[in-house]
Amino acid sequence: MQENAPYRPERDVVTTIRDDGSRRFLFPADAKGRFLTGRRIVALVLIGIYALLPWIKVGGYPAIFLDVADRRFHLMGRTLAIQDLWLMFFLISGVGFSLFFITALFGRIWCGWACPHTVFLDHVYRRIERWIDGDAIERRSLAKAPLGAAKFARRALKHTLYILFSAAIAHMFLSYFVSIPAVWAMMGDAPTKNWGTFVFIAVATGIVYFNFAWFREQLCIVICPYGRLQSVLTDDHTLTIGYDTARGEPRGKPESAGVGDCVDCDRCVKVCPTGIDIRQGLQLECVGCAACIDACDDVMQKLGRRPGLVRYDSLAGFAGRAKRWVRPRTILYGVLLAIGASVAAWNIGGIRPAILGVTRMVGAPYYVDGGSVRNQFLVRIVNKRSEPAEFKLRMLDLPPGVEARGIEAPFKIAPLGEETRPLIVQEPRSLYTVPFSFQVEVSDSSGSFRIARSMGFMGPDPAADTAAHGSATDHP
Amino acid sequence: MSADPNHLQNDQDVRAHAYDGIQEYNHRLPNWWLFTLYGAIIFWIAYWSYYEWFQAAPEGAARVELAMQRIEAAKLASNASSKLDDKGLWEMSRNAVIVDAGKQVFQANCIPCHLASLRGKHENPTAIGPDLTDQIWIHGGHPTEIYSTVTTGVPLKGMPTWGPVLGPKRISEAVAYVLSYHKEGEPIIPDAASAPAN
Repeated sequence: MQENAPYRPERDVVTTIRDDGSRRFLFPADAKGRFLTGRRIVALVLIGIYALLPWIKVGGYPAIFLDVADRRFHLMGRTLAIQDLWLMFFLISGVGFSLFFITALFGRIWCGWACPHTVFLDHVYRRIERWIDGDAIERRSLAKAPLGAAKFARRALKHTLYILFSAAIAHMFLSYFVSIPAVWAMMGDAPTKNWGTFVFIAVATGIVYFNFAWFREQLCIVICPYGRLQSVLTDDHTLTIGYDTARGEPRGKPESAGVGDCVDCDRCVKVCPTGIDIRQGLQLECVGCAACIDACDDVMQKLGRRPGLVRYDSLAGFAGRAKRWVRPRTILYGVLLAIGASVAAWNIGGIRPAILGVTRMVGAPYYVDGGSVRNQFLVRIVNKRSEPAEFKLRMLDLPPGVEARGIEAPFKIAPLGEETRPLIVQEPRSLYTVPFSFQVEVSDSSGSFRIARSMGFMGPDPAADTAAHGSATDHP
Repeated sequence: MSADPNHLQNDQDVRAHAYDGIQEYNHRLPNWWLFTLYGAIIFWIAYWSYYEWFQAAPEGAARVELAMQRIEAAKLASNASSKLDDKGLWEMSRNAVIVDAGKQVFQANCIPCHLASLRGKHENPTAIGPDLTDQIWIHGGHPTEIYSTVTTGVPLKGMPTWGPVLGPKRISEAVAYVLSYHKEGEPIIPDAASAPAN
């Protein structure tokens, strides 16, 4: 159902939800201009990056390949094992701090320019719709028209294209997790052969299709938490899209006297993809797409007036005050981001391609056997790399006279394989006086890394009777 | 409400309550949002019927039990070739592939004490473990006794408990390797000097 009179947005209700709770579908008009051109270039570059990352190989693996099946994560030539998953903390907190910082400075620049939802909606799906159904007026009348053969043909074509693009996006997404050749091989197989993956792709395609064909701005307005968060992250000096009330009001016809620059043409409202009137001020629904700027600049240019009645500026700027970039909020968010990034870099730099564990073997803490005191350890090494590697063990800080057995020969470990080696440390009974500590060190044959673990050697109190503890011998 | 043109002028939709001076409108939720609620209710009825009313699926404990038995079955299947009796272990000790696998296990885990020659204290009196090639057995010389000694260890003397470290397959391979130095039916001499610990 469409109203006959154009709907006037109000700040106290969501335009896309009618009083009875039903959806008011929007038919945003075209707005051409420098910001649309800029956003389109950014969007095409981003889609190119999303699509190409799984194809570009860095260090033998795709630039980004989250190999869930083998529990390995290849990121720009660096391979992380499942044991390094704790670094996800830095990814999540890093995204959080980056959003804080960027939002405080530039408002919803992410939403309008880089969010995949906007990128695919504005630059793929709305393009398809525009191509098949025509401009806003044509789309609105087509929506009102009864379903005849011509409308059915158009709808069928549009939704077929939507589904094809949704399937392509779902496959693109999958290729980050199972690699391009595996996706290609699965696409050639019958669905029953990879039932789980097929259902995943079918459901993902369905969700993507539903989102871009029907749900659209509802995601940004109702579901996305970032839209809500921004109201506590921005302040009077944050860059936002707004309307210069001082210059525009009072609105009036171009020829009239005593009126501002706004001619009340409603172009800014007609082009808005979330159905707001930017002249009512900064609102939660605004995704910062800048369509209203392009629309208004176009009108101002035709009237021979300065552009920028609707523009990127801060609330302070619109109020005629100076805009400040450096303020307590941006300093705080910037410092938090810098601390998080440094700690993350430090930790990622400290990732070792192996794990070394040394434990005391089950049994007595020490054995007195013949003329020597003996401690037994179990050394466990995991090769976290994607290729087999040769490892060697070495003892450090062993006092003279102490002998270690079991770690002499280097050994190969398969990718993600695990090996254990017994380590027997012995000291002549006559030399032993007090417990001491030593280190076990693992390195690979090329010496590209070393990891050391400290262990303690213990024995009987020299003053005490040896028979009291663990003095079993094979041949007394 | 003020006469701000940005706000609705009729306040009939404003709820009576006010918190910190903030009032809220009584607007309807989006219908699609309500559908998610109704959908969740329908799902709950189906879920509750399936699990609680009809009890169509096994209970949690039964499912865990089933999963554990599957794991156990897979373990047994992977171990199917190694019959854990004296005869089976002797057979394994005559199979070159198994003996070679056992040699790898032995070299990785056993030679610090028993030496690469398996001769332990007989080769070098300062070695830790006893000779495994002679016919003197401290803890029993039948193949299953050797297997049991390796699996549970002899903690009092320092023989580690290898069961949880190596698992049954690698232990039986290592035992087969030791047995490859022996012949079935050869005498087993209990070690007179050292009483068995168990």
